[in-house]
Amino acid sequence: MASANKPINTDVPEKDVFALHFLQSLSNLRRQNTFNSPEKTNDRVKKIKKVAYVSMARAAGGTNRLWSRALLRRAAKENNKVVRFPRRKKRVTCLRRRRSNRRDPVEEEEAERLRNLVPGGGGMEISKLMEETAHYIKCLSMQVKVMQCLVDGLAPK
Amino acid sequence: MDVSEKDELRNGDTTVNYDDSSANNPHPDWRVSGSNPVSAPIDSYPTENLISSSQMMETLWYDPTNVQAVGYGGFNGGGNASSSSNSFRGNIDRSLEMGWNLPNLLPPKGNGMFLPNASSFLPPSMAQFPADSGFIERAARFSLFSGGSFSDMMNQQQQPLGNPESIGLFLQGQCPSNEVNVGVAHNDTSAAMKETNKQNVPGSGNVSEDTQSSGGNGQKGGETSSKGFDSKKRKRNRQNSEADQSQRPQQSEEGDNNGGGDKKRIDEQSPNSQGNKTNSGKQQGKQASDPKDGYIHAQARGQATNSHSLAERVRREKISERMKFLQDLVRLQQVMLDEIINYVQSLQRQVEFLSMKLATVNPQMDFNLEGLLAKDALQLRAGTSSATPFPPNMPMVYPPLPHGFMQQTLSCMGRTEANGWEGDLQNVIQINYGAGDVPPDSPAATDASLPSSNMKVEP
Repeated sequence: MASANKPINTDVPEKDVFALHFLQSLSNLRRQNTFNSPEKTNDRVKKIKKVAYVSMARAAGGTNRLWSRALLRRAAKENNKVVRFPRRKKRVTCLRRRRSNRRDPVEEEEAERLRNLVPGGGGMEISKLMEETAHYIKCLSMQVKVMQCLVDGLAPK
Repeated sequence: MDVSEKDELRNGDTTVNYDDSSANNPHPDWRVSGSNPVSAPIDSYPTENLISSSQMMETLWYDPTNVQAVGYGGFNGGGNASSSSNSFRGNIDRSLEMGWNLPNLLPPKGNGMFLPNASSFLPPSMAQFPADSGFIERAARFSLFSGGSFSDMMNQQQQPLGNPESIGLFLQGQCPSNEVNVGVAHNDTSAAMKETNKQNVPGSGNVSEDTQSSGGNGQKGGETSSKGFDSKKRKRNRQNSEADQSQRPQQSEEGDNNGGGDKKRIDEQSPNSQGNKTNSGKQQGKQASDPKDGYIHAQARGQATNSHSLAERVRREKISERMKFLQDLVRLQQVMLDEIINYVQSLQRQVEFLSMKLATVNPQMDFNLEGLLAKDALQLRAGTSSATPFPPNMPMVYPPLPHGFMQQTLSCMGRTEANGWEGDLQNVIQINYGAGDVPPDSPAATDASLPSSNMKVEP
């Protein structure tokens, strides 16, 4: 891209979408497992966490975002499922290395940490990585809000 | 005669020398005076790396009529400014006029008289004037001289160069754009002066001065007309990078002392400038890091990686833009990526914590929306993609559910709403039910039902 004048589009759906997806996943989870004994709380926690991320990925970007795609793929791998994403024109460019050197040792150090945090950040340029991070942050915060509300709502009085 | 004059100048015997040599030699002592009585007019110029001498020269160009006297006064070492300046003024005016008129009058060889002492300051520039009438024409061509052409200067001694850049021209040669070289240039010029005196080679000394002043290129140009072009070069350098200048002296070395060399240099300069302008950004970055070494190399590097540097710059702009966006998003004050990383980490930790809480709060993981969601999900997936946000109108398609059940769920959601949510969850429920007007039950009625009991959903 010659110019970076395109405004960054990091729109995130409303909270409803997140809530819906989350609850959907939770209900699915509940259907899958009957009551879990308390000893397996950790497992439950993990499941819920995974569900949270997956639902967030689905709600937020679906497959339009690199991080959501990576997240979903990772989750599917854990379930031994194969996830197929519809081929898009702007395929993940991790396979294609642009000629412009994207490695700047000064920035790369910090970008490395970011890459570890953001799912799917390994194959991205720094600029793309930052865009994904912005969207990821938005979605994360939204998801956190949803979960918080849910917890508050379900907390025993 | 020239040599002797130079020696006198070097010694600091300014007054005499000025009187004698003003006509012929620009005064090397212009450098000498540390104080700059001309500072006032000089300050008006945002010229960089001004040394006193360069400042004086600058003022000279700036306002030949007025500054000259002051500048020359400064040459006296700060003393006798007024008196000497007056006397100098006449001399300077004369010399200036001569200098400017020289191209028309003096043969190219006349450059030698001027150049030797043109210690890369105005004197050199002035000396350059006699270089060529062609030079003057070319000089007039340059946009930087838009303030006034040399011809104007020659004729009227107005403020032909109100443009600081034009002044910067000379400064460039003497004071390379790199701040690093300010002191160096000063020393270099003085050294160059001596060299020129020794060499007494027309133009060669000047070239050497320029090259040295430009940061120790170590080049000793051997061309008389190089000075004139050096000014142009300086201008270019000012625009682009010093690498150009370094190259030009190199080129000038090979060229002739006269117009032939000039023309060649000009031709070379034009492509260089074009190529360099795109690289200016990058090369400026290089300049700071390559005060002395990079002159020769930066040019080649700049041209070779023209597209790369451009792409790099674009890339950096993109990155900075995204960074700013992230900053606004995360409400950070600094440009530290670390804070962004911390924020992301904290968010992820929050998700984990909340999921843990969810798991403990709701051991059965029963959710009242289970049934309702099941149906919604079906229609959701059929109708829309997950990426699209919910339109408020969607709920119409949802099948109705028992009102009581609805109330329970709504109450649960209503509780959450009461807890501080903006009612989005409730909206979700409402949306799902297609009726945005289902009021939540009073919390009291559903308190007891909140725990798992009402969570059971019969699809």
